[in-house]
Amino acid sequence: MILVMLRVMALSLWRDRIGLVLVFVLPPLVFIVFASVFGSGASGSLDIRAGLVDQVNSADSRRLVDSVQQRLSGRLIRTPDAAALENAIESGRADAGLLVLGDLADAPTPVTVLIHPGRRAAGEILTAQVNAAVGQDLPELMLRREVARLKPILALTPDQVRHVTGAPSGLAPPPPFVAQRILPGGDPLRIYYAGAVSILFLMFTAMQGAMSLIDERRAGLWLRLGLSTGGVAPLLGGRMVWLTALGATQALVLFLVAAVAYNVPLLANLPAWSVTAVSAAAASAGISLALAAACQTREQAQPVSTFIFLILAAIGGSMAPRFLMPEALQTLGWLTPHAWVIEAYQTVLWRGLVNETVAQAWIVLASFAAWGFAAALWIEGRRRL
Amino acid sequence: MASEQTEVVLRLAQATRRYGHHAALDQVDLAVAEGEVYALVGRNGAGKSTLAKAAIGALALDAGSVRVLGADPSRDRNVRREIGIAPQEIALYPHLTVAENLDAFAALAGLSRAERPTAVARVMDETVCADRAGERLDHLSGGWQRRANLAAAIVHQPRMLVLDEPTEGLDPETRLILRHLIARLRADRTAILLISHNAEDVVALADRLGVMEAGRLIVEGRPAELMAEAFRGRTELVVRLSAASSSVEGILASRGLAPSDGGLCWSGTVADAVTLAREIEMALLLVDVELLELTVRPPGLDALIDWATASAAQ
Repeated sequence: MILVMLRVMALSLWRDRIGLVLVFVLPPLVFIVFASVFGSGASGSLDIRAGLVDQVNSADSRRLVDSVQQRLSGRLIRTPDAAALENAIESGRADAGLLVLGDLADAPTPVTVLIHPGRRAAGEILTAQVNAAVGQDLPELMLRREVARLKPILALTPDQVRHVTGAPSGLAPPPPFVAQRILPGGDPLRIYYAGAVSILFLMFTAMQGAMSLIDERRAGLWLRLGLSTGGVAPLLGGRMVWLTALGATQALVLFLVAAVAYNVPLLANLPAWSVTAVSAAAASAGISLALAAACQTREQAQPVSTFIFLILAAIGGSMAPRFLMPEALQTLGWLTPHAWVIEAYQTVLWRGLVNETVAQAWIVLASFAAWGFAAALWIEGRRRL
Repeated sequence: MASEQTEVVLRLAQATRRYGHHAALDQVDLAVAEGEVYALVGRNGAGKSTLAKAAIGALALDAGSVRVLGADPSRDRNVRREIGIAPQEIALYPHLTVAENLDAFAALAGLSRAERPTAVARVMDETVCADRAGERLDHLSGGWQRRANLAAAIVHQPRMLVLDEPTEGLDPETRLILRHLIARLRADRTAILLISHNAEDVVALADRLGVMEAGRLIVEGRPAELMAEAFRGRTELVVRLSAASSSVEGILASRGLAPSDGGLCWSGTVADAVTLAREIEMALLLVDVELLELTVRPPGLDALIDWATASAAQ
């Protein structure tokens, strides 16, 4: 009987071309958008646009500006004066501003970065780029500033000062104080969003499928189906298996896109990924079936499920990374399947591990599936009588 | 009619179901024997669909019992296999073809993979929809969909069949096909509970007829006998006016007609309808009210329901 229901639902979806597009094309597209928007931070290329006023216009300041310009890939825009620069930041034409005010060698703080209160990250990035420009591209300037600062302490003679600061402008940059090493394991933010978008769409896809219960009730189909020899349980069971299979296939399509577009290591971790995908799909199916069983009409089910799924998605981290949330919300997030799904995918695909966290996630997701299915059975059983 | 020679397939005894203070079914006793068509008529909300649900075990009773072939259909899965239902709505999967739908419902009714092709071919032949076997249901017209709806109810050859308005909205040809099919099912000893508003169907097909009102089965009998008892040779007279008029009310009411449709339509069963029709025509001419329709016809189900309700109230 479960096989009969599977065949009926598979044929129905196969012949619903718009439904197919919504199930298998839309989620990868949304993932690509999310990954492009939020994943650029992980690649290290945060594209900010900065305004510039160079009030000094010395050889040193021009070299500094050239260096920063190069580091921002040409997105440093000159403005006539400080007021125009502030205006550009206020209006959003520039994310932050660079104001060169004093002699770079002598002034205690010759450069100011103007930061919009709503775009502090842009200010931090510009500050880091200016520091990097000075440290890497203008080493002799830094040397002059250091010698001037140390001269009284070290009691340097004028000859010694001239000797040190007279070094050619091609002075090699100092070795970096901090070295960076990017660990293997793919791009965590893109893996994060692959998981986040996947569970978001799994919920909506499962709900669309589960709402056929309501249509069947309305059309009298449920009355006819209720006469089947197995009763309600296999009918709901068939639907549960179908929605789980559909959800897992949808997740596979999305992660294949992620693997091809962003080198997410899907194939290397396929077994653990598969268990996670099936558990996530089953949890979505269980929850959706319970909701569809509880609602009398589509008009009820549509807004109720959308509201619940959006709240779960927001708290569970499908919309914004959980590590950016306040502690209390992060804790609350563990009540949602979303947080467990994202955590499991990240651990499996980014860290390449199958550890206690992953096992815990699988158990929690299986529990969501079991409770949802049991609730749907109970509600439909009561409704039937 | 149930007799000693025929087995009673469906039996409701004191079947009662309440929703709060409202009794959807109120101590209903009903029996349908094999090879019998039992027509259930009544106004909207009288309890016909509730009774149909109870009959197939899809509704728990507050009191009383339902037995199909001696077993409780809500608990006995084997007896459920002996029941078929064609709801008023098209209870089929719209994206599947007619053949796929029938195959699915045959499988759900417990037919094996080997039995199904024969069962599907037979039922498509019986409902004359083999030509459309490969077409998706949502691509078919209402008449074809209704044939498929009935086919799905009988694909597993049930011994009891519940039909809810099976000929509603059908063209004459399809209606005739379905009537023939129902007659053949009766000949094959299928017990049929027929819910219908169509007087022709009821008169042509039903062996017995029950009138429901407010959850109760108020009158039961053979259709011809009930009609004779209710109307005693009288016929139904229907008068339709272009406008409601207080000067007309006295004329029509005094001749035993009752208003509807805001006073635009008057109808009733009368002894000598033809003479009365002439009188009404003349009377209306005098008060200068235009007559749109004046029909004399055999009393319909609505008139029978009115009579049964009035009789039960006395």
